[in-house]
Amino acid sequence: MIRVTKYVLAFALCLVALPSPASPNDVVVVVNIKNPTDQLTKSQVIGLFMGKYLAFPNGIKASTVDIDGKDNLKKRFYQQLVGMSLARVNSFWSRIKFTGRAKPPLKQPTEEAIVRFITLKKDAISYISRSKLNENLKVVFEFNE
Amino acid sequence: MNKSGLLVRLAIVISFSALAVGFISAQLFYRLTYLNEVEVSNLEITQLYQTVSSTASIAAYLEDKELAREVINGLATNDVVHGARISIAKSDISTDIKHQNKPLVFNLNSPFEKDKKVGSLLIVPDLNYIESRATKIGEGNAKALIAQSIIVTAIVILISYFLITQPMVRIARALHSITPGTSKRLTTPDFHENSELGHLVRDVNNLLEKAENQFTEERKLRKEIEVLEKRFRMLFENSISPIVLMEPLGSILLHNKAFKVTLEKIGAKFRKNYGPLLEDLFENSDQLTKWEQNSFTNDEIATGEYKLNCKNKEDSVWVQVVVTSIKSDDMKEYYQITLHDISKRKKELESLSLRADYDQLTQLFNRQALEKKILNYIRSQAPFAIVLLDLDGFKQVNDVYGHDAGDEILIHVSGQIKRSVRRDDLTCRWGGDEFVLLLKHIQEKDLRELVDKLTTRIKKSHYLKGYDKNVSVGASMGAAFFPEDEVNLQNLVHLADQAMYAVKRQHDSNPELSLLFAKDIIKPSDSKTL
Repeated sequence: MIRVTKYVLAFALCLVALPSPASPNDVVVVVNIKNPTDQLTKSQVIGLFMGKYLAFPNGIKASTVDIDGKDNLKKRFYQQLVGMSLARVNSFWSRIKFTGRAKPPLKQPTEEAIVRFITLKKDAISYISRSKLNENLKVVFEFNE
Repeated sequence: MNKSGLLVRLAIVISFSALAVGFISAQLFYRLTYLNEVEVSNLEITQLYQTVSSTASIAAYLEDKELAREVINGLATNDVVHGARISIAKSDISTDIKHQNKPLVFNLNSPFEKDKKVGSLLIVPDLNYIESRATKIGEGNAKALIAQSIIVTAIVILISYFLITQPMVRIARALHSITPGTSKRLTTPDFHENSELGHLVRDVNNLLEKAENQFTEERKLRKEIEVLEKRFRMLFENSISPIVLMEPLGSILLHNKAFKVTLEKIGAKFRKNYGPLLEDLFENSDQLTKWEQNSFTNDEIATGEYKLNCKNKEDSVWVQVVVTSIKSDDMKEYYQITLHDISKRKKELESLSLRADYDQLTQLFNRQALEKKILNYIRSQAPFAIVLLDLDGFKQVNDVYGHDAGDEILIHVSGQIKRSVRRDDLTCRWGGDEFVLLLKHIQEKDLRELVDKLTTRIKKSHYLKGYDKNVSVGASMGAAFFPEDEVNLQNLVHLADQAMYAVKRQHDSNPELSLLFAKDIIKPSDSKTL
């Protein structure tokens, strides 16, 4: 048993040690290319998407955007960001919505709609697959670890 | 019920102990309950925290004061919670907190990043509530304890009563009614054959057994002693000799019947004390004391013969006194005095000495005794005269009327002699019909007068009753003086004898002559021829 644990541990260490090669399906957090913010920490991303922060660290108001419904990308994003299922994320919002202080992200029907929305809106921030990146967008956070 | 009886004491002691133990236990239980309640409250509060933790965390994360207030208000509605406060980075949201006793502080972490602290939740327990809850429980416990104590006490008392006190009281009563030495015994109480009480009963019975044996033995001994005492008493009381037990100073402790009889005999009244050695009863008590002292220096028994003091002086009671000094076990000295009546023997002895010195028929001195007296006189150089008297005509009376008549004449003559002499003069039957008078310090003239009187009396006729006859005798006398005539006994007597014969020789020629002096008949030549 101890031996098996050892191997498992060793394997896990290998995974951590070697940065996984970038995949086209990776979820990345993006903003308009003209947005002055270049880089965000995970906490900052969580703060923005979970209603704690209403603005970017530089004080510019931020508009978070979600894909509507139970999209697979959305599911992966929240799983990686806060380790929660979409149901739990929804329940979180429904719990705090009545105080009126925090507001959930705006909704866009598809990933393509999000890309368009960010291309048009300088203060927008959202998540897309790496493969959907274009020259109008810049990555401010990606799940490396 | 006896106030200091076992059961009452036991009940009191047990009740008080139960009360004390109950009180202390209640206190202890209350303390424990309180601590327990505090712990329970803390647990409850922790559970409350767990219930609200996610909401509280969210509130802290979002710094949502509304939500935070909701959380702490919700918490404050619980009985165990006095107040609550959520501290977020810049501000505190709190209910009304009056005291900060034993607050519980929980960290509030970000709901999305579990290791990131976003604030803290402080919950103050409501100590009053906890206390009142503990008191309630404690009261319940105390009531239960008191009930339990009462029940246990009652059971203990009952068990003690039936198992210990009652049997003991029965044993004690039974023992109380038993007189040692009788055949009565204690009975072992039920279920106590092997208990200490059973042992006690057995031991007591053994003791009673021993006591009975001892009593029987003692009774037997006492009976034996009684018999012995009766015999001793018999011996003592019936002893002919008076026996007295006294202290050395004379207090009489014991005396027998014979002693009283002797007292009556000598006319003395009974007293408790006649002085040491009964000296008041004796004639020569000085001698008695001296004798006793001498005897006791040599021996433990003193014997002597003493005359008792008689009221009637004519009686004479002589006793042999035997004094034994007795030392008792406790070193006290007693005298046992035994008196043997020796009066009879004394009288015999007296008469014996009378017989030795006196003529039995005439009660005059005999020749031997008078010779001794004469020798005494000569030794003391006292002048005296002796007169030798021989009867005339006595032989004829003896021959005609016999010895009894002769004896009668002799008694008659000696009576006349006794009547005629002076009080201090000594008279003697010298032998046969010869008599001698020993007259101290007498002049010739007085002597002659005395002899004349005597002669007249002797010559008077005497009536012989047995023969109805009057007879008469005469007397011839010769006298000699000491020291004028002679200084030697034999010679004196011889001289008187010669003078007397000279009278007899001249009898026929001179019938009136009855006395001649030695110096009248003795010629120097004659005396030489003698």
